[in-house]
Amino acid sequence: MNVLLVEDDRDVGDYISSELVAAGHACVTKYNGEDGLREARCGGYDVLVVDRMLPVMDGLTLIKTLRNGGFNGPILVLSALGEVDDRVQGLHSGADDYLVKPFSMVELLARLEILSRRASAPTTATTSYTVEDLHMDLLNQQVSRQGVALNLQPREYKLLEYLMRHAGQVVTRAMLLEHVWGYHFDPQTNVIDVHVSRLRQKIDKGFTPALLATVRGAGYRLGPER
Amino acid sequence: MKVRKVLRSITFRTIARYVVILSATVFFLLGALYGYFSYTYFSDLSDSIVDEIDTIKLIYRGQSLAGVEQYIEDQRAHHRINRFYYLVMDAQGNKVAGDLPAAPSYREFSGGWLGFQIDLLEWDGQVEADFLARPTALDDGFEAIVAGNYADAVEKTGLVFSTLFRAMFATLILGLTGGFFSAATTLSRFERLKSELSTVIRAGPGQRLHVAQEMGGVRELAVVMNDVLDQMESLMQGVRRVSDNIAHDLRTPLTRIRNHLSQLHSGLDRATEEDVEGIIAECDELLTSFNALLRISALEAGSALAGGTRVELASLLRDVVELYEPVAEEKGITMVVSDAGPQYCLAEADLLFQLFANLVDNAVKYTPAQGTVAVRLQARPAQGLSEGAHSIIIADSGPGIAPADRKNVFRRFFRVEASRGEQPGHGLGLSLVQAIVQYHHGSVELGSNNPGLLVRVKLPLA
Repeated sequence: MNVLLVEDDRDVGDYISSELVAAGHACVTKYNGEDGLREARCGGYDVLVVDRMLPVMDGLTLIKTLRNGGFNGPILVLSALGEVDDRVQGLHSGADDYLVKPFSMVELLARLEILSRRASAPTTATTSYTVEDLHMDLLNQQVSRQGVALNLQPREYKLLEYLMRHAGQVVTRAMLLEHVWGYHFDPQTNVIDVHVSRLRQKIDKGFTPALLATVRGAGYRLGPER
Repeated sequence: MKVRKVLRSITFRTIARYVVILSATVFFLLGALYGYFSYTYFSDLSDSIVDEIDTIKLIYRGQSLAGVEQYIEDQRAHHRINRFYYLVMDAQGNKVAGDLPAAPSYREFSGGWLGFQIDLLEWDGQVEADFLARPTALDDGFEAIVAGNYADAVEKTGLVFSTLFRAMFATLILGLTGGFFSAATTLSRFERLKSELSTVIRAGPGQRLHVAQEMGGVRELAVVMNDVLDQMESLMQGVRRVSDNIAHDLRTPLTRIRNHLSQLHSGLDRATEEDVEGIIAECDELLTSFNALLRISALEAGSALAGGTRVELASLLRDVVELYEPVAEEKGITMVVSDAGPQYCLAEADLLFQLFANLVDNAVKYTPAQGTVAVRLQARPAQGLSEGAHSIIIADSGPGIAPADRKNVFRRFFRVEASRGEQPGHGLGLSLVQAIVQYHHGSVELGSNNPGLLVRVKLPLA
C-alpha cells in the first residue's frame, strides 16, 4: 500500500511512517497543506492520511480542494479534535474516515487497509460473501457453513456480515461499534468481546478450521489462520 | 414588601432614630424657650406691678384719695393698651376708685399675688382677660389693687409656640413616613441584588451581576461580588485546565508505550507474550480513563447542547440493551426493556448512547446472578422539568447506593468503598453520565429500587 502522509509534527510523522514501513507499506510524508496537495495530485497513492492542523493550508481545506478537483481516493483524517462536531465536519469535507489523536497504531493500520481495499473493490453490488467454507447469502439473509444452515440473531448476522466484508483484515472494536452498532462511544467493559465469542460459538464450534480469530491488542479477523 | 421587614431594616431604624431624636430635641428647646419666655414676661409684669403699687402709695401719701383718683384717670386716658387696672376699696370693701369691678373672684397665688379673669371691652367685642394683681394697704384702711393684663401677650406667644409644636409633630410623622419609604426602596434594591446573585450562582460560572443599573453602596457591593465571581471562575478553570493538561500530556506517551508493546508482542515466547498482553490491557484501561476524563472536562467546560439531531429514544435504549444482553446472559441476569412508543429528543446520539451504556454497564456489573436489570422509557407526560420531559429509568437488583453516597458518586474517580477492591472500574462512569445529561439540559437522580439502584434520567422534549 502506498500511503501519503501530510503531518506537520515531525515526531508524529516519523513515527507513523516508520510503523507503516515496518508493516510492509510505503510512506511519503509532506509537512504542510500545500505540499500535500501538490503531491496528492501527482497520483500513485492508495490512501491519504491528512492531519487537520496544517500550516499554509489546513487539512480540511486540502481535502475539499482535492475532492472538488475530482480526486476519488480514500482519505483518512487525523486530528486532536475529537468532538462529534469535529468528526462530522471532517467527514463532510470529503474524508472517508476520522481518527482521533492519540490513536493506537493498530487502529490506524486496520483502517487504512480497509480503506485502500474498499477503493479497489468492484463497485457492483455484492450478493454474497464466501470465506473458506462459510457462506453468506445477502439476498436471503442466510448463513451456512459446510452446507449446514446457521441460525443467527439479527445482530450476530450484521456482525458476521461486516467481518466477512473485511475478511482477512484486522477489524478493531471501535470499528465494529461504529459500523455494526452505529454508535461511536467508549464502552467501560469489553462488551463487544462477548458478542464476538457468541458468534464464534455459532460459526466455529464443530467446524474446522476456526475462522474467527482474536488478534491480541488489536481486534478480530475473519479468515483462514495465517 | 413586608412592612415588618422594612421597619426592621437598618435604613428605617437609622432614619427613625434620627427623626425622633431631632424632634425630641426641638420639642425640648421649644419647651425651654417657652418656659423662659413666660418666666421673663411674668417677672417683668410683677416687677412693674410692684413699681406701680409704690407709685400709688406715694401718690396717696402726697395727695390722698383724690390724687389717686386723678392718677388713675390720667392712666386711663393716656394709655389705651398695656396699662394697669386699678381698684381702691375702703375698709368696708366698697369700691372707691378704679376701673376694676368690685371684688372679682380672685385666685390666690403665693407671695400675696392674685389672679383673676374678667371680661374686658376690647376693640372687637368682649374678651375674657387674665390679670395678675397685687393688693396693698394704703393708710386709713384703704386697700388698693393694681392689676396687669397678661392674656394678650401670653396668648399670642402660646399661639406661636403651639403652632411650632404642631409643625414639629408633623415633621416627625413626615420624617418617619419618608424614612419608611426610603428604607423600603433600599431594601427592595438589596432584595433584587440578592435574588440576582442566587440566579447567577445557580446558572453557572459565566454569569455576572448587572452593575450599571445600581447606585451608590449597592453598586459597589455588586462590583465586589462580580470580582468574587471572576476569581471563582478562573480558579475553577485553572483546576480543570491542570487536570486536562495532565490527562492530555500523559495520553500521548502512554499511547506510544502501548504501540511499542504491541509491536514487541509478536516476537515473544508464550509466557512473556501473556505478560505483555496484560501490560497492554492495563495501558488501554489507563487510556480509557484519560479519554473519559478529558471528555468530561470538555463537556463541562463548553456550552451546553445547542441544536443537535432528533434522536428516537425507544430505539436507542433497545440498542443499548441489545448490546449488553449477552453480558447479562452470561451472568444469569435478566434484562428487560420497555417503552410506550417512539419518543424524540434533541441530542447527540453517540453521547446519549454512551450515557445509557454506562448506566446499563454499571447495572449489569453490580447485579448478582439471577438478578434483573430493567430499562424503561416512561410514557409521557412526566413531571420534573418544566413542560414535561422524557423519563428513562434504569433499575437493577444489586446492592444499590446508600443515600449518603448518592451525592458523591458523580464525582470523578469516586468509588463506593465496598466496590473499590472487587469490581473493575475507574470511577468515571457516573461523572461522564452526569456531564452528558447536563450537556443535554437534563437531569439524573439516584434512588432505591428496593432492593437495588434506581436511576432516573430526565431529558427535555424535542
